[in-house]
Order: sequence, then structure tokens, then C-alpha cells
Amino acid sequence: MSRTSSCLTLLSLVLLSAYCSATTTEGVAAGAPDRARLLASKQVHNLYLVEGSDIVVQYSLYNIGTAPALNVQLTDPSFNSESFEIAAGQLQVKFDRIPPSANVSHVVVVRPKQFGYYNFTAAEVSYLPSEDSKDVQIGYTSEPGEGGIIPKRDFDKKFSPHYFDWVIFALMLVPVLVVPFLMWRKISSKYAISGKPLKGSKKN
Amino acid sequence: MGKSTKFTKEEELLLEDFSRNISKKTSLMFYLNAFFVSAVPIWLYIRIHMMELISSSPLFVVVTGASTYLLAFAYKNSKFVLKHKVAQKVEESVTKAVLKQLGDKKKAGKSEKDERVLWKKNEVADSEATTFALFYNNAMFLMLVVVGSCLMFRSFSPFYNYFFSIMVAAGVTALLSTSGSK
Repeated sequence: MSRTSSCLTLLSLVLLSAYCSATTTEGVAAGAPDRARLLASKQVHNLYLVEGSDIVVQYSLYNIGTAPALNVQLTDPSFNSESFEIAAGQLQVKFDRIPPSANVSHVVVVRPKQFGYYNFTAAEVSYLPSEDSKDVQIGYTSEPGEGGIIPKRDFDKKFSPHYFDWVIFALMLVPVLVVPFLMWRKISSKYAISGKPLKGSKKN
Repeated sequence: MGKSTKFTKEEELLLEDFSRNISKKTSLMFYLNAFFVSAVPIWLYIRIHMMELISSSPLFVVVTGASTYLLAFAYKNSKFVLKHKVAQKVEESVTKAVLKQLGDKKKAGKSEKDERVLWKKNEVADSEATTFALFYNNAMFLMLVVVGSCLMFRSFSPFYNYFFSIMVAAGVTALLSTSGSK
């Protein structure tokens, strides 16, 4: 009985290990069709978001699948024309093919028209995961999250060097500082203190 | 016995010249100068601290007015202190210059010479003390405004930054002018 039970135990262990090794890699089992799988990210590169100044947004697409992604379309509806204007790039772009283990990136430059808090939401990615597939795969990029767009006057107040303003201020100081100084200098040098006693002067 | 407090005309003029009182012309010049100096920092606050000119105009008017008064007070005090010191310093030079000028007039008496020297000394001391008082107090005030607005009160809002910078600068300038040493 003990020999029979140990044989059964050994057999069950062998079968279990064979099953585990067969199902370890998801989707990579022998005979499974090749499919593309895209990972998409959306990043805002600016340290400061300023009203009327450029904001650089980068979209990155990585294909971690085993087949090329076809007819890839990236669309970002989050930058409405009322709040933003497009300085460079397009919010809707198409890539014909992204090979497996490859990545592509796309940059858009937008300019906010107003200041305030703004929620940077995800862009939409759609693609065909294989040549035979007719169903379009839809996904979304990462979300940068909420960002504060500061007014331009506050940004200038903090970071602008104000060279021109200081030059004008210096010019305004000329009549209040330079002119009295020059007048005083003229009078004091005319009647400069003489260390030598007066010749023939009589002391009272 | 009653004391005679009547001064001669010359003594009265002397007292008037070396008193703390200033003429209307000098007073007007001091107030105009003080007003201009007090108004100059407004440019800084409008352009650098981004204050609105129209909405902040009541503050600008009140603070500029107070600063004008304090600066004029400082000019007056500084001039009085400096005039006495300058008069002592330039006495020799002025005497030499006047005697040289009167050298040709041999008929000029001693009293006329003394009067001329005194008058010239007063004039020179007055001019030099006035110009130096203006320069010194303006420089002190503007330096304190720049230090206050850019360093001391930097973290304050522009409203309070302007108020404290100007009032502290004008107040300290007026206070230092009461000192007897220059």
C-alpha cells in the first residue's frame, strides 16, 4: 500500500509540474496566434504651466506584443479649443505600423488661454492587433493628472529679470541723487578746507 | 532792573540765518524734492511687483504723502545740523576769498569786511548744507526702500510690502536726521 501511494504521489507531482510549465507564459503557449499589444503613455514635460506659454506634451507608444500593430491611431480630445491653442503638432495622428518590441513617440505643443487648475486626461489609442484581426483594439494612455496653470503676471513677477525696469529706475534716480551730489561737490571743492593758516591774519 | 532783549538788526539777521527756520522758497524746494523722491518707488512696485496703478492709487497717495512729510522733516533737520558744521569748516576759505575780493577796496572798514565774511559764510554754508542734506537723505531713503522691498518684506503681499518699505524707510531717515552727528 505504501509503495502504491508513493507512486501515485510522484505521478501527481509530475503531472502538476507539466501543467504549470505549459501555462507559465500567458499567451505564449505553443499554437497561440501572434498579437500586438501597445502600452501608451502621456507626459507633460513642463515644470511650470504658465498662461500663454508653451506646454510640451509627449505621447509614447510601446509594442510589447509579438505582432506588429497596424493602423494605429492616437487621438487626444482633452485639449479643447476654448481653453488651448495648438502651437505645434497635431492632436490626432496615425501610425501605419509599429513593429513588435518597437516604440514611437509624438509631441504636441499647446498654449493655455486661461489660468487655473486643469485635469490632463488620457488620450485614446486604437489599433489592429494583427493582420488577420478585424476587431479594433482600443486603449488609453496614462493620465498626467491635475495641473495648475499660473497667470503670466505671477510667473513674470517671480522669474523675469526686469532689466529694463531697473534701468528706468536708475534714470529716475539721476535728478534726486546725481544732481544734488554734483552741486554739493561744486560748492565744497570751491571752498575746500585749507590746512595752512592765513598769512597776516589777525586773531581777535 | 529790566533786561534789555532788543537785538540790533544785524543780530536779528544772524539769529534768523542760523536758526532752524527755513525760508518759504527752501521749504517749497524741500517738499517738491521729497514728493518726487517718494513717488519714484511707485514705478518699481508697478513694474516689478505687478501692482495695479489705478486700484492701488489710494494707497499710493496716502503713503507718498506721509513719506513726503517725513522726508521734508529729515531735510530740514539735516540742513540745520550740517550748516553749523560747514560754517565752521569753510570759515577760513571764505574769509580768504572775501578779503581777496575786497583787497582792491582799501577804504572798506573792518566792520564792513566782517559783515561781508559773515554773509558769504552763511550763503556758502546754506548752499552746501542744503545740497548735501538732499543727497544724503535721498540716498538713505532709496537704499532702505530697495533693501526693504527686495529683502526684508519680500515675502509680504505687494500691498503690505509697499506700505512697510516706504514707511520704514522714511521713518528711519527722519529718525536718523535728528541725530546731531553727520
